[in-house]
Amino acid sequence: MIAFLYDTGFFILVQGLALALLVFSVYRGSWKRLSAPLGYVFGLLLIDGVGRRYVLHRYGLTSEQYSSFYWLTDVALALGAFLVVCALFHRACAHDRKMWRFVRLVMACVFILVLGISLSALTRSSAHVENAHLQKVFFFEFQQNLYFTCLVLNTLLYIMMQQFELADPELNLLVCGMGLQFAGPAANFALASLTPWQYASKLYDLFGPLCTLGMLAVWFYAVSRIPKPAPARARGKLVPILARSRSAA
Amino acid sequence: MIVATLIFVLSTALFLFYLQATCHRILRTEFDQEYFRSIVNANRLEFPSIQQALDGYDAATDYARFRMTLKCDFLALTYLLKNAGNAKRRYTREEKLLLLYFRAVYLVMVALHAVGLGERKALANLAAILKYFANIVGQRVNLVRFGNLAPSSYLMNL
Repeated sequence: MIAFLYDTGFFILVQGLALALLVFSVYRGSWKRLSAPLGYVFGLLLIDGVGRRYVLHRYGLTSEQYSSFYWLTDVALALGAFLVVCALFHRACAHDRKMWRFVRLVMACVFILVLGISLSALTRSSAHVENAHLQKVFFFEFQQNLYFTCLVLNTLLYIMMQQFELADPELNLLVCGMGLQFAGPAANFALASLTPWQYASKLYDLFGPLCTLGMLAVWFYAVSRIPKPAPARARGKLVPILARSRSAA
Repeated sequence: MIVATLIFVLSTALFLFYLQATCHRILRTEFDQEYFRSIVNANRLEFPSIQQALDGYDAATDYARFRMTLKCDFLALTYLLKNAGNAKRRYTREEKLLLLYFRAVYLVMVALHAVGLGERKALANLAAILKYFANIVGQRVNLVRFGNLAPSSYLMNL
């Protein structure tokens, strides 16, 4: 009974906050600037709030269909989170196109590396695991690696922002929120490798929604409290130049 | 096994780091004026003197006094946060997060002092949180008009 109340309570809180964040961002007109994070939140709402509930209602908790759908959508969310990190890097490198080209290349290499490592785990376990479970083994491994990679990349982004002294408090908070979302599940996946899955899954059920709630709350704070940056140019025409460099003059 | 342990420790540490970074981001909020001054004067709060003492290079830290001062200021400011110019009479979400952060840093400071490591940074963090709280209280009181009463006079009459 308590577990049911906890699950339902967190479900309503997470979905409510996600919906409120989307509506508020559209209302404030910041959805263009925050398209990637908001797209992720929309995906979360659609997958967790609608898709999973529908499959659960239709096939039941112990069904193979629900299990496959759950893992598949979890991987989709992890991929979405990776894309958000890429988008945040893009925003941080907006002033330096050369840097962004380098970062893009590194991100592509990292993704291929994660995919490769996850596939190698699949070939390692294929000898003693049934074929039906291979898919889940791959999903678990891929997700674990991707979450940890995203966490490391997110931390590198945070360090990069401090190094370049980027004056973008909104981006700072978006990165912090993303870090909370990655760090909890990454620690939990690692714990699952160290302890029996029953204990780890209970912890995941507890901390997973808590981390998502933390991320949404920090993002909501970023959207609602941080003032919008001033437009770089006037509507329809360029801003008049007030100062010229000596070389230009 | 070793890799999993490493990932677990690192991820947990990063989780705490991001929580701290979020709190610091909130604490760096810029106010349009120094609202905390009137609150400090009206309530004889002492955290600015701690900040001044910590800013000095060779200034000795009187740990026992600083600890007591911070605790008293914290109690006064949390009361004011809830009751001064606050129509709902409850903390906001970021205030709740910072209250938790204050308690966590306070515990860390006690632990650092017990093991003989420097507690200056923790003291500075605690003073920064109190300054933020004082600024919030000052801003709220400033927003509400009480006839000819100044914020400090209003607080004196609470």
